[in-house]
Amino acid sequence: MITNGDVGGVHIKYLHHCRRQLWLYARGLRPEALSTTVQLGEAVHATSYRRASPIDLGSARLDDLDGELWVHEIKSSSRPSSADEAQAIHYCYRLRKVGVQAQGAVLHYPKTRRTRRLPYAEEWDQRAQDDIAAVLDTVAAPTAPERLRRSACRGCSYYDYCWSL
Amino acid sequence: MPTAARTYWLTSSCRIRRKDQSLLIEREHGDDVHIPITDVRDVIACKPIDVNTAVVSLLNQHSINVHMLSYYGDYAGSLAAADNATSGETVIAQVQLATDPEARTRIARDIVHATAFNVRRVIDRDLLAAPYKTLTASIKNATSSDELMGAEGTFRRSAWEVLDTKLPDWLQMHGRSRRPPRNAGNAFISYVNGIVYARVLTAVRLTPLYSGVAFLHSTMERQRHSLVLDLAEMFKPLFAERLLLRMASRNQLKEHHFDTDSNQAMLSDTGRKIVVAAVRDELAATVTHRELNRKVAYDELLYLEALRLTRTCLEGESYKPFRIWW
Repeated sequence: MITNGDVGGVHIKYLHHCRRQLWLYARGLRPEALSTTVQLGEAVHATSYRRASPIDLGSARLDDLDGELWVHEIKSSSRPSSADEAQAIHYCYRLRKVGVQAQGAVLHYPKTRRTRRLPYAEEWDQRAQDDIAAVLDTVAAPTAPERLRRSACRGCSYYDYCWSL
Repeated sequence: MPTAARTYWLTSSCRIRRKDQSLLIEREHGDDVHIPITDVRDVIACKPIDVNTAVVSLLNQHSINVHMLSYYGDYAGSLAAADNATSGETVIAQVQLATDPEARTRIARDIVHATAFNVRRVIDRDLLAAPYKTLTASIKNATSSDELMGAEGTFRRSAWEVLDTKLPDWLQMHGRSRRPPRNAGNAFISYVNGIVYARVLTAVRLTPLYSGVAFLHSTMERQRHSLVLDLAEMFKPLFAERLLLRMASRNQLKEHHFDTDSNQAMLSDTGRKIVVAAVRDELAATVTHRELNRKVAYDELLYLEALRLTRTCLEGESYKPFRIWW
């Protein structure tokens, strides 16, 4: 199974979105490619901020890191969520681990043309570590976490898997 | 499979070339056709095709499978994209299930039962009531795949006989024969079964399941994807038998659609095009799914079935194979 270093942005995002999704993702179920929503997200990503240069940290992959060391993350949804924030925190944590003093994160929502600026705070390190531990716990569980309510599953690429009984 | 991409059917011999991000189909007779790669989900080649490395690498980038049918319409093989969906965890779970004799027999029995249910549903409920009852009784105590296959064979023989009573003389099957099919009816069934097999293979490859480990058929039987044989079983009546009955009663099939000689038969070029078009339209037909609360295409049912088996392997849920519910 995965170890501390393998936990990436997607794991953190799924942890906050739906633990069942995380559990399945870690077991190699990847129906995203078939989902039109996900394809739209990829298209938004590909057509927004094209001068951004992605940075690969192995498990995590940042959309952009600017000259003043702010992490930039592009989101295709129109509504900010706690998962977005957790992902940004995770990236800053990973950067600081390799010695880059990230100043914080900027979340971009090109659909609504909003941005959210989150300056680095002391407690972020702890939050990032807690999230990583939670990811490892969830993934190691022998059985899949329960499904969420149906309305919460709308638009999820795992919907067919979970709900076609 | 909910995306907009679709299956392409090649019904005449051609050469596939790569033109940037498009496939260029050079037909022997007829104009060239350009297909943007994002529009393709898979390709089924009913006639011989030529491909080169550039095409294969483009297909691989987009995880597109090319399935090839032989001269007689049997499944001949695939150009399969690199298997990036398979996951170790799921395969281990699948193998554990397949090597546990009790679980394996349970799943195999359910598959046989559901298949017989679908056959009966499609051909004739009343005339097949007795054979269905016999089958239900005999598989209850079956302990091995061989016994189950035997029971299914007996049921199938009755089903073929009943099917013959609903077909015109020249299309009657007089028992199932393969490689080569002996008569027109058999040629039709073989052809459609080959297509169903190819489509199920595409569906399985979209899930983390490994197509070589099966429950009803013996694993890697004759170098085929045995799991695909298992899953295709329930869907064959939905397409093959049903379409044969429908096309016969609508007089869509004519004797000249088949090249027949004394001991074998196959679809002629025009016949093949008619059949392929019919199957293509049938795969696109939709039905309201009771749990998902939306319409799903027959095509998507194959994928949902593979997902259901994935869930059985991963989460130990009981597997209820596909039964025609409408």
